[in-house]
Parts: sequence; C-alpha cells; structure tokens
Amino acid sequence: MTTTFDSSPALRTGALRQSLLISALFVVGLLVINLLFFPVGTVAVVLLSGLYQGMLFFLVAAGMSIVFGLLDVLNLAQGSFFMLGAYAGFAIYGALPEGTPTTVRFVAALVGATLAGGLLGGVVEIALLRPLYVRPIFQIVLTLGLATAIEEIVREIYGPAGLIPIEPPAALDTTFGVFGAQFETYRLFIIVVGFLLMVSVSLLLQRTRLGIIIRAGVQDSEMVEALGINVRRVFTLVFVLGTAVAALGGMTAAPFLGAYPTMGTQFLLTAIIVIVIGGMSSYEGTAIASILVGLTRATAEQLSLQYFNTPILASVSALVFMVIVLLVRPTGLFGRE
Amino acid sequence: MPQQTNTTTRASLWPGLLTMILFVLVPYSYAAFTGTPQPETSGLARVHSAAESIYCVKGISPVTSILLIELAVLLIVVLWAWLKQGEPGGKTAVFHQHGWYLFTLALLIAIPFIIAWQTNSSPCTRGKAFFWQSIYIDVFILAILALSYNLMFGFTGVVSFGHAAFFGTGAYAVGLFMKHLEWPWWLAILASLLLGILIALIKGFVGLRIKGLYFALFTLAFAEVFFLLAGNRIMVNITGAEDGFTFTVPDWLNMTKNRLFFYYLTLTFLTLAFITIYRLMHSPTGSVLSALRDNEERAQMIGYNTFHFKLLAIVLAGIMATMAGILRGLALKGASPNVLGLDFTMNPLLMSIVGGVATFSGPVIGAFMLRLTEQLLRDSIITIGTLSLNIGDHWTLILGIIFILSVMAFPHGIVGTWLSKNLHTRNGWITLFQRPKTNKDTFVQSSHPPSSTKHKETS
Repeated sequence: MTTTFDSSPALRTGALRQSLLISALFVVGLLVINLLFFPVGTVAVVLLSGLYQGMLFFLVAAGMSIVFGLLDVLNLAQGSFFMLGAYAGFAIYGALPEGTPTTVRFVAALVGATLAGGLLGGVVEIALLRPLYVRPIFQIVLTLGLATAIEEIVREIYGPAGLIPIEPPAALDTTFGVFGAQFETYRLFIIVVGFLLMVSVSLLLQRTRLGIIIRAGVQDSEMVEALGINVRRVFTLVFVLGTAVAALGGMTAAPFLGAYPTMGTQFLLTAIIVIVIGGMSSYEGTAIASILVGLTRATAEQLSLQYFNTPILASVSALVFMVIVLLVRPTGLFGRE
Repeated sequence: MPQQTNTTTRASLWPGLLTMILFVLVPYSYAAFTGTPQPETSGLARVHSAAESIYCVKGISPVTSILLIELAVLLIVVLWAWLKQGEPGGKTAVFHQHGWYLFTLALLIAIPFIIAWQTNSSPCTRGKAFFWQSIYIDVFILAILALSYNLMFGFTGVVSFGHAAFFGTGAYAVGLFMKHLEWPWWLAILASLLLGILIALIKGFVGLRIKGLYFALFTLAFAEVFFLLAGNRIMVNITGAEDGFTFTVPDWLNMTKNRLFFYYLTLTFLTLAFITIYRLMHSPTGSVLSALRDNEERAQMIGYNTFHFKLLAIVLAGIMATMAGILRGLALKGASPNVLGLDFTMNPLLMSIVGGVATFSGPVIGAFMLRLTEQLLRDSIITIGTLSLNIGDHWTLILGIIFILSVMAFPHGIVGTWLSKNLHTRNGWITLFQRPKTNKDTFVQSSHPPSSTKHKETS
C-alpha cells in the first residue's frame, strides 16, 4: 500500500463527486437505451432485475473488496462461500421436520448458512492464509486452489447436477405488477436484503470504532499497526464477516437459482469485474459498481434475448464495461492512485 | 547481467544439437539401410518405408538396441563431465553444463521403443506402446503450457489467471480454420499463431496499463468470456456449443494413424520452447525480465521501459501456449469448451508450483509428475478401513488438495527445493530457514529462491 499524499479532503471529495457523476450519467444512459428499445413495463422489470442481480454481486464482492483493501489479500474463494451458503441453506432446510412452517425453515436456513459461512471463513483464514503472510502472492494462488477444492468436494457430496430451488415463505412466493409487467416478490426481497446489508455495512464502517480502524487500515495498514492496533486480528474479523455475507447471499439466492457446484465460479467472475470497476479497495465503489454491473447485465440480457434469442450478451457486456473503465481509469471508478 | 559470468558459464548449444541429431540419425539410417521397402513406394517414402519395416517390429528391434547403447554412452559421457567439475570452457563444456538436459531429451526420444520392448508391442500399431505414446504427447503439450506459464508467472512476475485463453484459442482456431475455411494445415497453424499473438497484444496493451492484481483479474475475466462464447449456442453451427466440434487433419498429421511422428513433433516443440526460455533467461533481456519481477520500480529507475519487456514476455508466452493449444487441437482432431476453462489455467500453475517456480526444468517435471501420476493411479482403488476410494474419479479433488498442500508447505517446488539445498551446503544452513523479507510492493520477490541460485541449475 503506497502512502497517499494527495488525499486531502477537498481533493478526495472532488474525485468522489466526479466518479459519482460518471456513475449517474452511466445509469441515465442505460435508462435511455432501455426506453428506446423496450416498452415501459419491460423497462421496469429490467431495472428491478438489474438491481436484484447487482445486490447478489454486491454480497459476494463486499467482503472481497474490504479484505483486499486491508492486507492486499484477494480472496478468490469468495464465490465458493456463496455456493456453500446455498448448500448449507439447503441442508438446514431439509434437516428441519416436514411439519415446521416454511417461514421458520427459511429463516433458520438463512441464519444457519450465514453462521456456517462465517465459521468456515474463520477456519480458512486461521489455518490456510495466516501461515502465508510472508509470501503474499501465494495467498491468492491458494484461494484459487481452495475454490477448486471446495467445488470438487461439493460435487462429491451432492453430485454435479445441482438441487432444485427450495420453497420461500408463502408471503414472498407471489408476483406483483409494475406497469403491466409481472415481477416476483422474492426478487424484491433480495433487493431489500441487499440494500439493508449495504446500509448496515456502511454504518459499521462510518459510525463505529471498528469501522474507523478498518477504514484507516485500508488507507494505510502499516500506520495503523504502528498506532498499536492489531491489524491481523481486525483482518480475521473482516474476513469472517465477508464470507458470512457471501454465504448469506448464496442462501438468499437459493430459492431462485437453486444450488449447483459451478455457481461459485460464476458469481466470483462477476464479483471480480465489480471490484475492478469499483476500484479494488473502495467500499462505496464496490456498492455502486455492483449496481451498475447489475443494470448493464440486465439491459444486455434483455437486448440479446430480444434480438438473438440467447442471454449471451449479459456476460460479455460486463467484461466490455470493465475493459472500458480500465482503459479510461486504470484504477477503477472509485480507486485511489 | 555481469558479462563475465556469461562468457565463462555459457557453452554453445551446437555440440548438443549435433549430438541429438546423431542420436536420432544413427538408428534411423541403420533401419533404412537394412529394412525392406514397400513395393509401391519410391524416393524418400521408399527409404522411410524401409526404415519402418525395422522399427515397427514388435518387442525389441535393432533400433531399440542401438538407442539403448547410445543412451548408455551418453550417460557415461555426462557422468564423466559432471564429475569432472572445473574447466568449463573446454571441449566438454556442453556436457558439463547441459548434460542432464541432453540425457533427458535422449531418454524421451528412446522411450517409445523402450516401452515397446518392455510391453512386447509395436510402436506403430495399436497396443500398449501406442497407448503410452498418447499419454506422453499429452504430457508434452501440458509441459509446453506450463513452461509458457512459468515464463510469465515465475520469471517475469506477471501473474495471469487467464492462460487458458491462449491454449483454447489455439485449439479452436486451428480447427475452425481447417474445417470451415478449408485452409491448408500450414496456413491454419500460422493464422492461429497470429491470433494468439493478437490476443497477447490486446492483453498486453489493455491489461498492462493496470498493475499487479488488476492484471491477473483482468485476464481471468478475459478467459472466461472466451469460455462462455465457445460454449454458447449462439454459434452452435460453427463451434458446436458445449459439445465442441471435430475436424479432419491430413494423414501425416493424424495422431491416430501416425502417432510416432506426432510424438516426435510434440517433443520437438517442447524442446524448442525449453531452449527458447533457457536462452532468453540467460540473455540480457532475460535479466531485465527477472529484474522487473524482483523490483519493478528499480528497473524503471535504471532506465528500462518495463512495459516493453512485460509485453515481450506476454507475447512469447502467448505464442507458446497457443502452439500447445494447436497441438492439442490437432492431436484430438477437435476442440470443446473445456480447453478454455479454468482447468487449463490451474494445471500449468499447479505444475509450475509443484515442479518449481522460476526454474527451467521445474514446469516440465511438474507436468510429468502430475499427468503420469494421474495415469498410473487412474484405476487404482485405495481402501482405508471400510472406506474405499477410486483415485481416478476423485482426481480433480486430489489435485486441489495437492495444490493447497504444495502452496502451503512446498512453495519452491521440487527443483527449487533441490536448488536451495545446494545453496545451503555452500552458504550454511541459515539461508533455508531464513524468513524472507516481507515486501508488499514486490509481491513475487519473497516467493522465490534467491536469484543467485537460478543460474546454478545446470551445474
């Protein structure tokens, strides 16, 4: 981490305002494209499904971004925790007896998956990552290997086919109309959960002592260490929180996507695109970039479904977006030099 | 690069090359002169068919005996030169320096015949020897891929997680050009290589604007798009979507018919890749490459344009990986999306780490070890108490565990550990147990054996 001399508040706010402006312009541009090509009802659905996708990406990327900011460790196994969350949710959902109300089972699965994700994250950090602080690049290589290993283990236990989505509580299992088009309530639930987490993590970072330490650590971890704070311990905590949030995300997605071994890699790749666009270690960058990427993907998906009858453009559009951002701003939208 | 060590330690490769040509020519010409040619052949084909009648014999043939004798002679010469340390500038310098490489190459040349002798089958028709040749072809292709990965990751310090993009492009492009455009083989291969260079240039010009990890992530996402495109049904008529496609190759390039030839073809490319990297890393350019791995800012400060050097490394690695992909496509006479998947990024990475990052022979040894172990354990079943495990079914999982273990406990790999052992016999035990200095800005630095050991591999 290089020391930033140019991070005087005025300059930072200026850069931030500029980045926000670019993002806002981008959203307006997407909106215009949408309105040009689709009827109003479709536009609403595209926007909502963009938000829903964006929230899922955010849940995976948030932990990665903060963890990377703190100690330069990029956790490429974060997608696997997302997948593990889904599988843990299934296991808990299935373990509860048939008679229990769906809501109870669902909430138990949510809580259980989050705890399981956090627990496993703690084990991975303490057992596998800690010994490697002397060889930083190998930490990343290790997490890549870990992602493969976790995927294979899941495949061993549950088989390659994947599980059929579980039933959400009856209240969420409906659709509602927006401008004449139908939208699933459950997706709205995901948006709400994502938004709540976004706000609460932001509050944690801005309003608590731990948040101050984390933000200071992202800025300059060596200086924080010099002030007598054990950055490693804070890092472990953040790592656990990040994996727990990812697992929660996986479980929230489970009633919609089901659970399958490759979903980890899928979400990891988009999460990577998100944090690169957002500027690697910037929390607000990750939050905004995930929504931008979600909206871009949803728009591209709708476009290519309409014209090519396949959703292929969705993945390509996110990558093209990343390449353009990197060409214009090599440090991402909200990144520091 | 200190000029002095260059002149004293580097021996010319020509004597070695000559040895190898003789090594092949002697048994071949013996077979050509004593064999009986097929009736309808003429010219060079007549000579070759005469040779074929000898070396395609089941079990031990005169060719095998000649090769074994040559191997023994070579081993004695190499051992002699190896024991006779000192006077590196003399006539035996090449055996002193590259002796073990030469011996390995000779062994690989002789292996199809040795296997034929051991399994009592013919190296040219279906049988055990034929089958093992295909395994070795696979190993050679993976070794080329691992070598090219190591050039980027180990020697230059450019971390890329998207090497499969090159490999897969090679396999796909050569097939698509030959199938749909009906280009001749040489044009298809050339065009595929150019495509590989183009991808490397795009990666370089776009990706190298961004530093370190951004680049790794960029390449990961880049490769994934190729994977998605290849597997998508939008181009199902061209690429065959997730099933892949097959194409026909000329008879002489056909691995099923002319496998022995294909074996030597891939071996030649492996040797070429090895020599290229070896010579590159012993040249001044190579020194700059490892300098910018160790400390990029310092290399810039001295006045090198590090961008150009990184670009060079990426393009070279891209060419090699694309060539490996082309060979794979030709060998299987087809391609499917899995050649673009994460597996073909993980495999070379794992092979480099197991064999030894930033060593010359490490990736090759890693490729041999992992692929041959997989083959040997494929159908074996291990029983621990009541639990029985079929190794072949769980190989990917086992690979993942090997991966994690070797990253944790064995970071220098086989060759790297061997070299650092060599070093501490000279410098005392301290070096091995010394904790490397943590330096976040040059993140590859601490993961390698001290750079002074790098050039000692040959001695």
